[in-house]
Amino acid sequence: MTDQRKIQHLYWRAGFGLKPNQIREKTTLSIDQAVDQLFRDAERAQQSPIKDNSNYGDISNADHLSMGKELKVAQRKKGRNKVRKLNYQWVKRMTNPSQSPLLERMTLFWHDHFACMPQQPHWAVGYLNALRSNALGNFKEMVLAVSKDSSMIRYLNNKQNRKTSPNENFARELLELFTIGRGNYTERDIKESAKAFTGWSTDFEGNFVFKEKQHDFGNKTFFGKTGKFDGDEIIDIILEKRKTAEYICSKIYHYFVNDQIDKQRVSELTDVFYNSGYDIKKLMMHLFKSDWFYADKHIGNKIKSPIDLITGMANAFNMKFESKDALIFLQKALGQVLFAPPNVAGWPGGKSWIDNSTLMLRLNLAKNLVEQKDFDFKPKDDFKAAGPSKATKKIAVTTNFNLFNQTFNGSDERKLANKLSEYLLQTDINIDKLPLDDFTNNTDKVRSMALLLMSLPEYQMC
Amino acid sequence: MKRRNFIKHTSLASTSLLVPSFLNKTSCGTNKVVGEATNNSTSTSTVISQSNTGKNLVIVQFSGGNDGLNTIVPFRNDLYYKNRPNLAVSAKAVLKADNDLGFNPVLTGLKSIYDDGLLSIINNVGYPNPDRSHFRSMDIWHTASASDEYLQTGWLGRYLDHSCSGCNSHHLLEVDDSLSLALKGKQRNGFAMSNPKQLRNLTQNQFLKTTARQKHKIKAVDNIDFLYKTMIDAQSSANYIFEKSKVKKTQTAYPTTEFGRHLKQVAELIMADSDTKIYYVNLTGFDTHVKQQRQHELLLKQYSDGMNALVKDLKTNGLLDNTLIMTFSEFGRRVKENSSMGTDHGTANNLFFIGGKLKKPGFYNEAANLANLSEGDLIHQIDFRRIYATVLEDWLEVDAKRILGKSFDKLQVV
Repeated sequence: MTDQRKIQHLYWRAGFGLKPNQIREKTTLSIDQAVDQLFRDAERAQQSPIKDNSNYGDISNADHLSMGKELKVAQRKKGRNKVRKLNYQWVKRMTNPSQSPLLERMTLFWHDHFACMPQQPHWAVGYLNALRSNALGNFKEMVLAVSKDSSMIRYLNNKQNRKTSPNENFARELLELFTIGRGNYTERDIKESAKAFTGWSTDFEGNFVFKEKQHDFGNKTFFGKTGKFDGDEIIDIILEKRKTAEYICSKIYHYFVNDQIDKQRVSELTDVFYNSGYDIKKLMMHLFKSDWFYADKHIGNKIKSPIDLITGMANAFNMKFESKDALIFLQKALGQVLFAPPNVAGWPGGKSWIDNSTLMLRLNLAKNLVEQKDFDFKPKDDFKAAGPSKATKKIAVTTNFNLFNQTFNGSDERKLANKLSEYLLQTDINIDKLPLDDFTNNTDKVRSMALLLMSLPEYQMC
Repeated sequence: MKRRNFIKHTSLASTSLLVPSFLNKTSCGTNKVVGEATNNSTSTSTVISQSNTGKNLVIVQFSGGNDGLNTIVPFRNDLYYKNRPNLAVSAKAVLKADNDLGFNPVLTGLKSIYDDGLLSIINNVGYPNPDRSHFRSMDIWHTASASDEYLQTGWLGRYLDHSCSGCNSHHLLEVDDSLSLALKGKQRNGFAMSNPKQLRNLTQNQFLKTTARQKHKIKAVDNIDFLYKTMIDAQSSANYIFEKSKVKKTQTAYPTTEFGRHLKQVAELIMADSDTKIYYVNLTGFDTHVKQQRQHELLLKQYSDGMNALVKDLKTNGLLDNTLIMTFSEFGRRVKENSSMGTDHGTANNLFFIGGKLKKPGFYNEAANLANLSEGDLIHQIDFRRIYATVLEDWLEVDAKRILGKSFDKLQVV
């Protein structure tokens, strides 16, 4: 295992891959130094929360109440469009070297974990900041922030959770998906904990609103304890259980290390997480600094998510999407639109990204984007008007090969192929056996060879 | 199916050439999945269809939530006219079928299918605690889950996993560019294809073909093997369908829309005795919140004309008894129209079966009760998973419980 591959492994899993000009700089670092640098950058970036530029924050609750129905509908539609803009900006942030790849990676992980579909831009910004500001903080704070988040309260119907008619949706997902996992609670626990979250509501401005009249102040019996618990205390009781730490660590392992769970390693992580009082930074630091994280079997074994694929290409070629529509068309076609997970369980990931349609798109993607070819592809629409079929669409991007060429130009033929594959592929491949020469275009050898390597199934792995 | 015919087929030859060496070995000293991949992609037996029944199933999905009440119209019900002062179909215009129910006037094709005893209409299909989000409700229909349960595989995908493990992915074909969750299993996926020629061209990447043939060192990691296998399957299925799609050409007029073109594709593949046995077709645009009537009727007419053409082709070729067509939508619409000349998301809805061997043609059960609503919405009578169980057991002849996770009472319909 070369040092370059190990550093790239770290950057793929803790970020979104390296830019070509970062290879030399980062390979001079030890793993520990590289990890420390990632965390330092994350802390710095965390100082600036995402700003709401949508102007939606200016619409007060009273303004919104006085709007007519049609105005509200128009407002909602405009709002959804602005959420798409936040998606676009987020992807840009992931590959912006003056931001923090680790912080954005963690935020993306938590978006997948606390999956939610915010409908309005100012709510989306609130949701994103709840995740981002706690992404490497304390898990308890994160759960609490998400429970009080306007987008989540709406998404899981907690606005309808009232003393007189409890809605259990939020409580169920809190236990099943967000904290302790299936099989560790009873239906009774759901009913009782739902009472503790009654009256946890929100307004148009996106504030958390505690509606005292709708809250059930009575006794609840939860996980064998009885008391006049509120939501905060319920979360405490859930987190007292080591099972909760184990469930989260198992998800972390699955996402950051390997699809195949190794119980012993998960137990090691659980110790760190639980004993630290759910300190996410300590957990992730431990993971990224463990020797076993860089074991052969973990490197290059993960199927890239659509976001991994898109950001990886953006890093390689300094690729910029000319519009949010172009980016979102591609996300849709590949099956992962930010702020629009399939459901509250998030994206299943792994092999489920792949079918014949998405794989063929993926294998041809680098070339199609760089050469700006038409996509003969029509993603499923959002149930809207039938309209004429628009099968062909150009995904407008600009690419800049300067950094790429500076890094790889001037190498002799065999060396070039090796250097490119070392950068682009995280799996072993016998480069001498590839028919690269027969398919390489001699007028722009570096680019042409890179695009060939990026059409291999191996490029889909990270 | 006829093994000899198939082996003659060119696609098989190209498939085995494409198999990279690591998949060809029976044992790489690695893991089980490689062995399975070997079985599925290299031995000829798995390229042969495993379908025992020879029956075809066509599923038509109305995306967006079809307004069932304006499709099959309760033209004697005052409550219907009271709730729909602007949108109701007038009793005079309805194509009368039953004492109380009739077809939307644009559904002349569907009405004649009904008159021929080839249509069963199941009223009031839905599920408990209905979800009014398109995405979520469609998910529920695709995965056959309860409304508070999140499954990551589709019911037809699980059919491939459990009951058709030797089948090719194109056994289950969605005529579209992308694959719906309904067709995704844990081990296996169905196949998505909108245009055979275009897809075949996309899979003919010479560099990849040559590369796959090379003996290169590969870390036998589960996921990369899976990608190679999917790629090779895609190449061979694309070839197969491309060749099959040229065998029979229909002269029947289909709607000149994308939906019509897709149905025609289905008809021609069925007529060519393709290995594909389950077809999935989408008709989208039913989310009619605003100015519903024109849009809704355009869609219904497309559907009705399309079904009429398909039934005609199947009948002419003696294939109607072997084919079952099921049409559903993720939910119906609210009983009361909204203030924008449209309707909002609702719950229970009607579902159609078309075929030559229906046990109970006509109306399977009574119309929805408009006097007993839940928050303005219809209350379902028949859980849609009972319908799936019926299709799986009585049509595809497999154990529905393995696929749906539990038993559901079947309907006496197919």
